[in-house]
Amino acid sequence: MKRSGASIVIEALCRNGVDTVFGYPGGAVLPIYDELYKNAHRIHHVLCAHEQNAAHAADGYARVTGRPGTVIATSGPGATNLVTGIANAYLDSVPLVAITGNVAVPLLGRDSFQEVDITSITRGIVKHNFSVGDVRELSGILDAAFRIALSGRPGPVLVDIPKSVQNDLCSEDEYTEQRLFSAPLPEPDLEEACRLIADSKRPLIYSGGGVVAAGASAELRALAKQIGAPVMFSMMGLTALPADEPLNLGMCGMHGTRSSAELFSECDLLIALGVRFSDRAAGNTVQYKEGKKIIHVDIDHAEINKNVTADVEVQGDVRKVLELLLQKLPRITRPEWEQRCAEAKKLDIHPREERLTPFSLLKTVAGYCTPDTVIATDVGQHQMWTMQYFPFQKNRTLLTSGGLGTMGFGMGAAIGGCIASGRKRTVLFTGDGSFGMSLQELATAVSQNLPLLIVIFNNGVLGMVRQWQTMFYEKHFSHTTLNRKTDFAALAKAFGAQGKKITSLAQLERALYAPAPDVPTVLDCQLDMDEFVLPMIPPGGSVKDLITRKG
Amino acid sequence: MESFTIELTVSNSCGVLNRITGIYAKGKHNIDALTVRPCSDPALSVMQIVSRGDETVQRMMVRQLRKLFDVKTAVLANDTTL
Repeated sequence: MKRSGASIVIEALCRNGVDTVFGYPGGAVLPIYDELYKNAHRIHHVLCAHEQNAAHAADGYARVTGRPGTVIATSGPGATNLVTGIANAYLDSVPLVAITGNVAVPLLGRDSFQEVDITSITRGIVKHNFSVGDVRELSGILDAAFRIALSGRPGPVLVDIPKSVQNDLCSEDEYTEQRLFSAPLPEPDLEEACRLIADSKRPLIYSGGGVVAAGASAELRALAKQIGAPVMFSMMGLTALPADEPLNLGMCGMHGTRSSAELFSECDLLIALGVRFSDRAAGNTVQYKEGKKIIHVDIDHAEINKNVTADVEVQGDVRKVLELLLQKLPRITRPEWEQRCAEAKKLDIHPREERLTPFSLLKTVAGYCTPDTVIATDVGQHQMWTMQYFPFQKNRTLLTSGGLGTMGFGMGAAIGGCIASGRKRTVLFTGDGSFGMSLQELATAVSQNLPLLIVIFNNGVLGMVRQWQTMFYEKHFSHTTLNRKTDFAALAKAFGAQGKKITSLAQLERALYAPAPDVPTVLDCQLDMDEFVLPMIPPGGSVKDLITRKG
Repeated sequence: MESFTIELTVSNSCGVLNRITGIYAKGKHNIDALTVRPCSDPALSVMQIVSRGDETVQRMMVRQLRKLFDVKTAVLANDTTL
């Protein structure tokens, strides 16, 4: 039996376990959308308002499920609108398969209507991409795309399919295999790492997104306990241990906890697990190594010795490496160091606040969430406050744009995350700036009946940039005061959602515990424009430069 | 800055050179010389790329090139002349 390319796409999606796709139709994907119409019982298509947000939704879906998210867009503007979403997934190592249509093969390279060379455009922001030239390749390419997206260090893969290939017919015995090269992981040699850990007096674990991706929370906790080492996290790794674990120091880096900054400066061994020493997490990488040795474990060989030179490099799956370390290492107690950890953690205690502030807002909303509630954020001050104050309990409950820092990520991510969680109540913390970049997706949330709780940290300014302008640019508030007159509560209602303006904690409590309607709810929370995210280590600085107070 | 040559065996298909030069361009490493020639296996090509950089750069380039799914092998050649 001969199948069309479009039908081959649907078969490949189903074969690879896809039951939900996000997308937006258009001329160059009409054959695929016709097959989606016929296969609606097998694949649920979520129509978004903009392709960028469809990509973020697929990204959020992947972060919650651990399986590749899938997004479909048409050629030209549909494809270019995906670019930010693909880059976002790339920087955060999220498995994503993006399928784009393109003009028919004979029209390629002629600047045809809605033609762009999307494989060239995305080459620097994908793990791999394919331009399908022949329908016989299509099935093998799609299987390879899903395999690549998920294997090793996950990431986005784009498959560009010209419309003529979608229409071309082909039988299964004509399918060709893709020839791709990838080196197998070496057997990790842990002798030197074990020696350094045994010799260390003050070891500190720095855990990242790799530990979350590997699902290695239990092994991480076991290692921390076995060797008496506190754990600090990059933002991407934050959820690997519950917030209230005694050895959990919270997030490190520019807006990290004081305890992480202090213990980092005191440790004599840093055990880095699935991290890449990003400038936001590591700060000054020249002074970084002073007085300490570094063991760097990562599945991606190219990450080791990239930003910070390691004394011991271990390439491998972090979960497997942790399992081996647990077998090889004895129980080591370091009472003094653990005592110091407990003492340092007292520095992170935040006093209660009775007014509506970022802190009291987050604590109040947290009280209304369960350990499984999926939390999405946008980018800016509200994002950092969420990392600092929200008591995350489990992996795959935090959807945030780490590497790319994409304002506007949140709405799409919350939609994808909510669907992935089985349409449970999902919270989006956003700012009035970020929300403005993707609020049209309220339409999607309403048409999908998603119980999103959208909490806007509305301070009328682009707060993070304003904070930098206050601190480093003599309060020249260049284009960061929004001066908008948007009524978010009325806007929510216009989209068919619920909305409320919140000016006090009591009002917030009432809104949260009112019977939840089956529609998205926007809480427009009024906050002071001069709240700062603190503590802060200025860019390129170290713990000596830590700012803990305003002014 | 030290000149270094990386020898690669790569898939003989369109877009591969773009992917490889992209790795160099990303870190602002100029390519001083480049050869591509066919191989006994028609599905593969052999490349030699001359660039400049210290040991850290050289190691990073090799590791990043090896991540590409079109790259079968990438090794640092001792001989820095083509």
